[in-house]
Amino acid sequence: MTLRPYALFFRAGLVAIAGLLLGLFATVMSLNAGYGFNALQAGPWVAWPAVGVPNSDPYARAVVSRTGEAPLGRDQGLTFIAETDSSGAPLDGACDYLLTDPSPAARFWTLGIVRPDGGLLANPTGRYGYSSADILRHDNGGFRIMLSQNPQSGNWLSPGGARKFSLALRLYETTLDTDAQPNADHFPKITKLACA
Amino acid sequence: MKIADRLLDFLPWALATLMIAAMVHLVSVLLMPTLAPKDAYARLTDYAKKTGIAEGLVMLEPPSLGSAGVLPFEDPSFVEAACLYDISKRPYHLKASTDGDNFFALSFYATGGRIYHAITDRSAIKGKFDIILGNERQIEALENASDGSAPVQEVRLTAPTSRGFIFIRALAKRNSDVTHLQELLKNARCENFELPKE
Repeated sequence: MTLRPYALFFRAGLVAIAGLLLGLFATVMSLNAGYGFNALQAGPWVAWPAVGVPNSDPYARAVVSRTGEAPLGRDQGLTFIAETDSSGAPLDGACDYLLTDPSPAARFWTLGIVRPDGGLLANPTGRYGYSSADILRHDNGGFRIMLSQNPQSGNWLSPGGARKFSLALRLYETTLDTDAQPNADHFPKITKLACA
Repeated sequence: MKIADRLLDFLPWALATLMIAAMVHLVSVLLMPTLAPKDAYARLTDYAKKTGIAEGLVMLEPPSLGSAGVLPFEDPSFVEAACLYDISKRPYHLKASTDGDNFFALSFYATGGRIYHAITDRSAIKGKFDIILGNERQIEALENASDGSAPVQEVRLTAPTSRGFIFIRALAKRNSDVTHLQELLKNARCENFELPKE
């Protein structure tokens, strides 16, 4: 099959445009998929320690510059985000959840609700989370947090009217080994109770 | 036979498409930190302009519920301040104190949000941070100037880019700590200074 010259140019142009679109599509997909490589996963909790080191990979740098975050150094703190409950179902604002201890060893930790874009949810409790210092504990040092739109006794967090939200567990000066996959048993359990 | 021919004819074009896609993908990922319009440095610069602070320390307003805050994914338990620096002409000096109890994190970022140095209150000397930031030439000049004389008080740090920001975060374990930490951070100093004359 012989091509006339203009048909060749036409094909080359088509290839250039298709390549450009495909390449940009791949960039958008990869930047939406997380923060590059080497994620730590413990049940529903995911952290990206690679964003907190000076020689972070190009994907981590690209994502951080796009979202506008200033991640903490890896040895300062590590943020674990959960978008699902412990069974793997997405967190839903219409449902009640129970968060129970343990929490990994750290000098301090905070556990709170965040919007998917990293902002704070408006909610009737006036609270976004608890810290290792101000949470109410059992006699044995354990804790439980009720996550519900309706008032609860004890530690209570509310997603307000939002359906979509995430949980953020932030560990400051943790002894957690960031080179190995953490044990999910050392992280808080997120159990779904009832849904409205 | 005919189908195989058509496939062979199509294959080089498909390969060319994939190669262009791969190049576009790599280039766009690598360029993102330079091109991203709303990176952390840009957000902080905008915020500083809005609050009318031209240089020195910028206290960050605590995020209110239902808002995005100055930077996304910040722990709301932090009391925060930022120093936007430009060391292209003169080196930069940062002084801050901790309270010996709460968690303090001092992080150094290049534009684009890449962290290049991070310390906590555990490495503060007598509860104080005293850090000089400069490019290689400035740090060398300082080293030459203080040869043999008084022992060095401060930590000297070489910055990879001439612009960037330092983030001071103090963790308020309880809400009652907030005011006291804000006072402490307000007293932090960051400013350019002249190199000693040779």
